Amino acid sequence: MTLLDDAPLADGAGAAGGAAKGMPEQPKRKVRGLTRPEWAEYAIALVAGISLALLLRTLLDWDDVMGSAIIAGIAFIGVHYLIVRERTSPDVALDKVVTTMMWTVGAVIVAMLLWMLSYVAVRGLKLLNWTFLTTDLSTTGSLEEGGGALHAIIGTAEQVAIATMVVVPVAVLTAVYLHELKGRLAGLIRFVVDSLSGVPSIVAGLLIFTVWPGYAGIKASAALAILTLPIVTRASEEILRTVPDSLREASLALGAPQWKVVLRVVLPTARTGLATATILGVARMAGETAPALYTAFGSASVNLNPLNGSQSSLPLFVWDLIRVPDQRQNDRAWAGALVLVIIVLVLFATARWLSARADKKLGRR
Amino acid sequence: MSTHLDHDQQHTTTEPPVLTPQHLGPAAQGASSLTATDVSCWFGSRQVLERCSLSMEPGKVTALIGPSGCGKSTFLRTLNRMHEVVPGAKIAGTVELDGQDIYGEDLGVTEVRMAIGMVFQKPNPFPSMSIRDNVLAGLRLSGKSAGDKDTVVEESLRRAGLWNEVKDRLHDGGMSLSGGQQQRLCIARSLAVHPRVLLMDEPCSALDPISTRVVEETVIELAHQITIVIVTHNMQQAQRVSSQCAFFLVEEQKQPGRIVEAGDTATLFTNPKDQRTLDYVTGRFG
Ligand SMILES: Nc1ncnc2c1ncn2[C@@H]1O[C@H](COP(=O)(O)OP(=O)(O)OP(=O)(O)O)[C@@H](O)[C@H]1O
Ligand SMILES: [Mg+2]
Repeated sequence: MTLLDDAPLADGAGAAGGAAKGMPEQPKRKVRGLTRPEWAEYAIALVAGISLALLLRTLLDWDDVMGSAIIAGIAFIGVHYLIVRERTSPDVALDKVVTTMMWTVGAVIVAMLLWMLSYVAVRGLKLLNWTFLTTDLSTTGSLEEGGGALHAIIGTAEQVAIATMVVVPVAVLTAVYLHELKGRLAGLIRFVVDSLSGVPSIVAGLLIFTVWPGYAGIKASAALAILTLPIVTRASEEILRTVPDSLREASLALGAPQWKVVLRVVLPTARTGLATATILGVARMAGETAPALYTAFGSASVNLNPLNGSQSSLPLFVWDLIRVPDQRQNDRAWAGALVLVIIVLVLFATARWLSARADKKLGRR
Repeated sequence: MSTHLDHDQQHTTTEPPVLTPQHLGPAAQGASSLTATDVSCWFGSRQVLERCSLSMEPGKVTALIGPSGCGKSTFLRTLNRMHEVVPGAKIAGTVELDGQDIYGEDLGVTEVRMAIGMVFQKPNPFPSMSIRDNVLAGLRLSGKSAGDKDTVVEESLRRAGLWNEVKDRLHDGGMSLSGGQQQRLCIARSLAVHPRVLLMDEPCSALDPISTRVVEETVIELAHQITIVIVTHNMQQAQRVSSQCAFFLVEEQKQPGRIVEAGDTATLFTNPKDQRTLDYVTGRFG
C-alpha cells in the first residue's frame, strides 16, 4: 500500500494500476538469479564431481550407477564449497552447500514422484482405452482380450461418495464444536478423534465385518468413514484456526449470535480450506484397499446397488488382478492403478485450483 | 444525502463548512447519551480497571487517552458488552444508554451491540464477502430487516466517506481495498445498522496520514448524527476530533487503571487540574 493508493482525490479504481498516461511502456528487467562467477563455480564443480566419479568407476571397476551418482554429488558439493570459500568466505560457502543440498533433496523427491507416475503410466497405458473404462469383467475370461474396470470405477465412486457425505458434515460439525463453541466435551472428543486416527485400516474393515456382516458397498463406506473421519476433523479444525479472531469479534460487535458468526462468517471464510480438506480426504479414501476387503469384498461385474451384494472398487480390482500369475490380468491391474492415480491427481489439482481461484477472487495475495 | 468530506465534493455542489469540534454546535437530534458509572473490570482474578465513571454526551466525540496498558480498550469494550466475550472476564458497575442499563434485564446483548457499534484498531472486513455484502453484513448477522439494500449500502458508504472510491466496484472482495479504505469500509459496516453510539479503538493506528485525515473528517462529520467514543494515542488527533476527553492512568505497577481526569478537551489539554494529565498531554511521560 502506498500513500497514493489512499489519496482521497484519486479517482477510485481508475487511478490504481496501469501504466502512467503518455509514457511508453517500460521494459521489465529480468531478475538475475546467479552472477557470472557463480555460474562458473557451479560448472567447474560439476565437471570435477562427474570426472571424479568416472575415474573411480574405471579404476575400481564399478558398475553401480546409483553409487557413482552419489559419489559425483558429494564430490560436487565438496569441490564447490572449496572454490566458493576461496573466492568469498566460509559463511557464503556454507550457505551454498546448504542451498545445493536443499535443491538436491527437492529434486530427488520430485524425481521419485515422476518416476513412480511414469512407471504406472507406462504399464497402465497398455490396456487403458475406452473399452477398459466402459466394460466389466463378468463375461471376459482371464485369457481373453477386452473387459475393463467399469465395475470397479462405479464401486469406488459410490463407496467414496457415501462415505464423504457422512464424513464431511460430521467432521465439520465436530471441528466447529471443538474450535468455535469450545464445548465442555472438547477434551474428550479430541482424545477420541486422536485415538481413532491411529486405527489401522484393516482393523476398521474387520470391525465393520464383525458388527455388520454381509457384503455390500455401503459397508466399505462405513469402514472408510471410520478411517477418514479423524483426519478430516483435525484438518477442518486446523483450518478454522486460520480464521482470524478479529473476524469473530467484528461479527459479535455487530450483534450477531454465535451460530450466525459460525454460519455466515467463519465457515464462508474457511470455505476453500474446508473444500481442500474434503478433497484430500476423498483422495485418501479412493486409494484404501484394506477397509473394502471384508466389506465390499469385490466382484467381477457391475453392481449398481451399494446397499446389497458384493461390489468391486479400484484398489480391490488392482489387488485381485496383480496377485495372479497371468500377464493379461496383471496388465489390467496396472491399467486400474493408472485410473486410480489419475482420479487422485485430478482431485488434488481441483483442490489447488479451488483455493487459488478463491484467493484471487477475494483479492488476497 | 450529501456529505461534507472534501473528496466527495467533486460530485456535490454544497459549500464545505470549516469543521472543527468548536463548530459542532448543539447536540445532534436523536443522538444518545452513554453513561458509565463505577465500572471495574477483571481478566480472571486480575483487576485492570477500578471504578471508572464517565459521561459521554449525545452527539459529541469523547476521546479516551492514556499510556499503553492503562485499560482504554477494556473500558471501551465494556461499553458495548464486548468485554464479556473474553473467557474469565468480569465486570462491575453500570453502563446506561439513554438511562437504560445495558447490562440489565431489559436489553439483550444483540440489541446493545446493534445500538452501540464498534470499529477496531486493525481493519477487519470479512474476506469472504464483497464490499457491498460487507456493508450489509451487520443487518444480515443481527437479523434486522434492511429495507432497500442499495439505499443502505450507498448511504452507509457515503457517511463513511468511501462511496466515490468504491461505487463502481461494489462486488469486488472487501480485502481488495487498501488499508485506509478497508477501515472506512468497517466504519460503513458499523453505520449500516444505524447505531446510536459508535466506539472506535485507535481506528487510525494502522493507517497512513492521508487515510487518517479522511477517517478523522468522517468522525467529525458523524458527530452531527451520533455519539462517538474514540481511543487514541495521538494527542493532536484527540484535539482535532473530540470535544470531551478522559485521561486513563495506571498509577502504580500491578494496580488497576483509573480515570484521572475527564472533561472538556480544550481545558484538559491547556489547563488540566491534575499535574499527571499535564505531563502526559505535553509528552513529558507516557
Ligand atoms: N484478553 C486479556 N486477558 C488478560 N489480560 C488482558 C487482556 N486484554 C488486556 N489485558 C490486560 O488489561 C490491561 C489493559 O489492557 P487494554 O488493552 O485495555 O489497554 P489499552 O489502554 O487499550 O492499551 P493500548 O494503548 O496499548 O491499546 C493490560 O494490562 C492488559 O495486559
Ligand atoms: Mg488498546
